[in-house]
Amino acid sequence: MPTINLRGAQKNYGVNSANAVSDLDLEIRDGEFMCLLGPSGCGKTTTLRMIAGLENLSGGEIRVGDRVIDSVADGIFIPPERREMGLVFQSYALWPHLTIERNTDFGLRLRKLPKAEREARVERVMQALDIAKYRDRYPSQLSGGQQQRVALARMLAVNPGVLLLDEPLSNLDARLRLEMRAELKRLHKEFKTTIVFVTHDQWEAMTLATTIAVMNEGTLQQMGTPNDIYDRPANRFVAEFVGSPPINILTFGKPGASDIADKAEAYFAARYPQLRGIGSIGMRPEAMGYAAKLEDVPQGSFSGEMTVTGVLPTGGSWILELRSENHTLFLTTHALPRVDSGDRVFFHVPAEALHVFDADGQRITEADALLRSSTYN
Amino acid sequence: MLWLRGNIMALLSETAKVEGLVRKPVATPSAWQVWRYRLKVALREPTTLVGVLTALIFTYLIVVPIISIVLDAVRVQFGHERRLGKDVGDLTLYYIDRAFFSPVAHDLFWRPLFNTLTVALGAISLSLVIGTVLAWLISRTDMFGRRWFATALIVPYMLPAWTFALAWTTLFKNRTIGGQPGWFEAMGLTPPDWVAYGRFPITIILALHYTPFVILLFGSALRRFDSQLEDSARILGAHRYQVAIQIIMPLMRPALLSSMVLIFAKCLGEFGVPYVLGLPVKFEVLSTSLFRSIASRQTGVAGVVAASIMLIGIITLMIDARLVREARRFVTIGSKGSMNRQSRLGKMRLPATGFAATVFILSVGLPLLTLALSTVMKMPAKFTLDNFTLDYWIGTDLHTVALQTGILLSPELWAAAKNTMMIVGLASLVSGVLGLLVGYVVIRTPVRALSVYLRQVTFLPYLVPGIAFAAAYLSLFAVPRGPMPALYGTVTILILALIADQMPYASRAGISAMTQLGKDPEEAAQIAGAGWFRRMISIVIPIQKGSLVTGVLLPFISGIKGLSLFVILAVPSTDVLTTYSLRLVDYHYTQAANAVVLIIAAIAYFGTLLAQKLTRTNLAEGLGS
Repeated sequence: MPTINLRGAQKNYGVNSANAVSDLDLEIRDGEFMCLLGPSGCGKTTTLRMIAGLENLSGGEIRVGDRVIDSVADGIFIPPERREMGLVFQSYALWPHLTIERNTDFGLRLRKLPKAEREARVERVMQALDIAKYRDRYPSQLSGGQQQRVALARMLAVNPGVLLLDEPLSNLDARLRLEMRAELKRLHKEFKTTIVFVTHDQWEAMTLATTIAVMNEGTLQQMGTPNDIYDRPANRFVAEFVGSPPINILTFGKPGASDIADKAEAYFAARYPQLRGIGSIGMRPEAMGYAAKLEDVPQGSFSGEMTVTGVLPTGGSWILELRSENHTLFLTTHALPRVDSGDRVFFHVPAEALHVFDADGQRITEADALLRSSTYN
Repeated sequence: MLWLRGNIMALLSETAKVEGLVRKPVATPSAWQVWRYRLKVALREPTTLVGVLTALIFTYLIVVPIISIVLDAVRVQFGHERRLGKDVGDLTLYYIDRAFFSPVAHDLFWRPLFNTLTVALGAISLSLVIGTVLAWLISRTDMFGRRWFATALIVPYMLPAWTFALAWTTLFKNRTIGGQPGWFEAMGLTPPDWVAYGRFPITIILALHYTPFVILLFGSALRRFDSQLEDSARILGAHRYQVAIQIIMPLMRPALLSSMVLIFAKCLGEFGVPYVLGLPVKFEVLSTSLFRSIASRQTGVAGVVAASIMLIGIITLMIDARLVREARRFVTIGSKGSMNRQSRLGKMRLPATGFAATVFILSVGLPLLTLALSTVMKMPAKFTLDNFTLDYWIGTDLHTVALQTGILLSPELWAAAKNTMMIVGLASLVSGVLGLLVGYVVIRTPVRALSVYLRQVTFLPYLVPGIAFAAAYLSLFAVPRGPMPALYGTVTILILALIADQMPYASRAGISAMTQLGKDPEEAAQIAGAGWFRRMISIVIPIQKGSLVTGVLLPFISGIKGLSLFVILAVPSTDVLTTYSLRLVDYHYTQAANAVVLIIAAIAYFGTLLAQKLTRTNLAEGLGS
């Protein structure tokens, strides 16, 4: 399917309510596996439903290639049944009164395909998704994971130009979810479909997507590869939303509110006086290290002395809770910690791992090169 | 030249690229563009069209009759031109004055109002006392036979209320009025008038009939009540009675108030019981007063009384709507981890069971047995073998003035039964289908105003007691209006009135069925490429088959039992079972009347069981909403 383009797409459900989606520009290229990521209520499902045509727009337009399929200004609205897209619902929405086979070939029958071809295609997707043995059962007789496969098969059977998935894995248990993730990746390769995937689970987005679009309160926050999103978050929202345990934020410009933030401010003033207008900085727990003695703190890194107040094992790694007089930080380590609650330690972060945001929470991109170059001299 | 063209091409492609990269802001659409787009989306599918059509139909079938009767109350009616010195249709306050302030106002309105209120309050108090105890015994104790009682004690609600009125007269009728005497009279014990007729028996019967309301509503609230709330109070040191007063009662208050209000609304429109038991001693309630005004062609006064009944009904149910909202607030607190622990009754176990059994015998066993026996006995209360006969059911060549065969062999019964089946059946079928359609439109239409209007207009008849609604129909359709011929005396008016009267239940069933279905299955079909009609036929209707059946069956049952609509709108040629039996009561064919009532009760009872079986639900859930 050609590129799908949302331009200035907008949705509000009532005159007085806030926009569910406001002024959204999104480009989904052929063959892409795009994840719409964001907290619940951020407008990601609404966006998906607007693409499918289940939700009409309040403003803006949607194009597929050169063709406008939805536009308020032009008065164009192609109904969902003629958009040739596939959508897998969070609830799966299997038709309870039809068998698995009838569920799967429903779309093919509507397209009036010859019987032989219909059967061949149903057979292929059923084999691909390993549900052929349930063909005569009804949806209520299947487990959640099996229903999920039927929902996928039903959409893949008609070979849609784009497959839209609305949090399809959220109702599965952890193990099944892992299996289905691998399965989705395989299907993406095998059927070469464009996939748009909605999720609030950052790991799901990270592991599956070729592109992630992070949304919040109806607006697009950042669009990029998983690594981009994680390593170079465009603003504080993205930085705080992605990563677990969440990124440590030090807010500047409030002397006395946090001794660690004051220390960071002094650090920046001393080493990077040319950087102005810093609102806050972020340190990922994984990027931080700690040392028992000041001598062991690497040169040039930002550091401070704090008290260990908690050692939390998470299986294979540990989270340390550090407290100073009026600040709490978390850092993650993969080596068995040789410290205990009450010990004094020095945390340290290399300058290149610091994320610098302005007063509005936007990333100061000029800072990145500066911090990177300075680490090694 | 060639290089020029090449350059131009390059230039063109360059600009194209730039355009693709630099985002061209999408202009904010003008108001009319938005409107055009919305209209296009709304009219793309028949949903909105169907909605507009049904909205028009229900405006005509529900809103217009009500407006018509209210107008009757303030306009000069035919036959009064001379007296009022005005033309027919002119505005007048004469009827309001007559009903509220004139010397006859006392008989027309105030006395019936007082009687209605006192009877209702009496019935409410009595049924609350009996009902709460029974509800608690059934849902929270180890009383013997709880499960059985849970169903058995609901039976009175499945039967028409005036079944019990007839049973009462069969037992207590005294020499004040003619016809066959009651059993006590026949045995030589003349019951005083206050026992036989009027306020006392009406109150008792309505109380017994509506006790199931309390059992259902209060019982389900009790079942949903989280024992952990009780336990927390106990752990903090509260005594059992403190828990009851400070924790349980406040949380149960909405359910109690709600059942009170519902019973009141039902009593307001109750016609059969006061008609059978009140008439002999001229004990009038609002519904019988309205009936009398209509029967004596006092259309204007009837309009005033009907409008008053509607007003009281609407106020009452608005209070109820508030209470239900309040109740929801409580449910959200108490619903999580609901644990239901039983109290041990200990020594009281047997007496408690005895109490439940007594209520069952008084409210179901005794009345039905009396009615059944009365239909096979020639003389009342004479329990000798030669007094028993099946003649009243299947006899032939009886020596009576009319009805010379047993009731089952009488053509009138079968005509009435046929009428009932046809009228009620057709009306239920139509309202069931319309209900599902309304449900579909209400849930699906993108036009919010349409959804709200349809939901409210179809609910309106619920606020209007049946008798007042029937009066409204009479007012609108008794004379030809525009293209509509006069419908009084036809089957059509009965069917139309029934459809409108049943719409609250039908549309609620439709709306809740569509809400439960959610839009996912239909949207999935839409994504798969199915248009509106295909989705209706392949997805919506097959999935909703069950609720469509209930949506037809439940109105059918209530229609079979219904009396107040028919008593005003039916004429002898359009007799249904209920009006037929009432006519038999009027003619003092006691056995035959009782037999017909038993037939109705049987249909209603087994119909309800069937509906419950089909939907695998309990009546309680339907009542709560």
